[in-house]
Amino acid sequence: MTLFKQTPTNSESMEDAHQHESWQKWFQLYGPKLLLCARQWTRSLADAEDVVQDAFVRFWRHQRQLPGEPMALLVTSVRRAAIDRARRDSRRSAREEFAEGGLERAGPVFETPLDGDERREAIEAALRRLPDEQREVLVLKIWGELTFEQIATQLELSPNTVASRYRYALAALRGELTAADCHG
Amino acid sequence: MDDEIQSLEAELKRLRPAGPSRDLLARLGRDLAPAARSPAPRWWLWAGALPIAAAIAVAFTLAARREPAVPPPPRVAAMPPAVFQPVAAENVLYAAQDDGPVTLADGTSARRERLSYVDTITWKNPRTNASVRWSVPREEVRVVPVSFQ
Repeated sequence: MTLFKQTPTNSESMEDAHQHESWQKWFQLYGPKLLLCARQWTRSLADAEDVVQDAFVRFWRHQRQLPGEPMALLVTSVRRAAIDRARRDSRRSAREEFAEGGLERAGPVFETPLDGDERREAIEAALRRLPDEQREVLVLKIWGELTFEQIATQLELSPNTVASRYRYALAALRGELTAADCHG
Repeated sequence: MDDEIQSLEAELKRLRPAGPSRDLLARLGRDLAPAARSPAPRWWLWAGALPIAAAIAVAFTLAARREPAVPPPPRVAAMPPAVFQPVAAENVLYAAQDDGPVTLADGTSARRERLSYVDTITWKNPRTNASVRWSVPREEVRVVPVSFQ
């Protein structure tokens, strides 16, 4: 069985999520997005998977019935698990660990389509070159499907700052991809 | 935001994040396997366990009531012998009053004195070095026969 073949629309994923009964269905909806979010705050793909495991198990057991959007709860849980892991595993401060998060090169960030693989690789490379704080906001907005307000709450920033970082990130990505197209 | 940015945003949204590994799915399966069951069995467990616990408690209570009433052992017997031993006793005279001559019932004369003491007794437990000091006021009346010659 191939998971993640069908990416649900936003309304479907958020509104119908409560109706799913098994954790497999939930994880099919949210797992890939959570993993991408977790990779912003961890040093390796393995760490990101550990964090997603902790967060999802905690969510499924204790937070599933809470009101609110599941994705926002899950992202909060993932971020907390990442902070806990950074504090637990590293001799350095959690802040330093957090700053080292990002899309390390192990494994593709996105699913590989049958065509257009070069474009995907260019986007992934451009994402990796973004400043951490811009990429973090971009990932939470595009693939985490959070609002600026929710992202601001997550990152303890003002919504205006979050929106600015998002715009800067898109502009930087466009610049990177345009340059790559010109050179490619 | 210009069209190019909007187009890029739409392109990014079409990208699907890579899925987690099979290992993660397996680990989640192990972690969530017990929780994946409906909560009903847990309630049934409690529903079964609570009456059993209550029955055991009632049985113990009834058994305790059926036992013949045994008078509690005297406290002295319960205490280890000579746990506290008296180690000091002192009395301090703090007042003396002479009531003067009095006539007793048989017609003889006497002189009566009132002496006020504080008696202090100290016990000590040699094993723990704990000590108990007990002070109590005491009044002593002395009647001393006198003879008038």
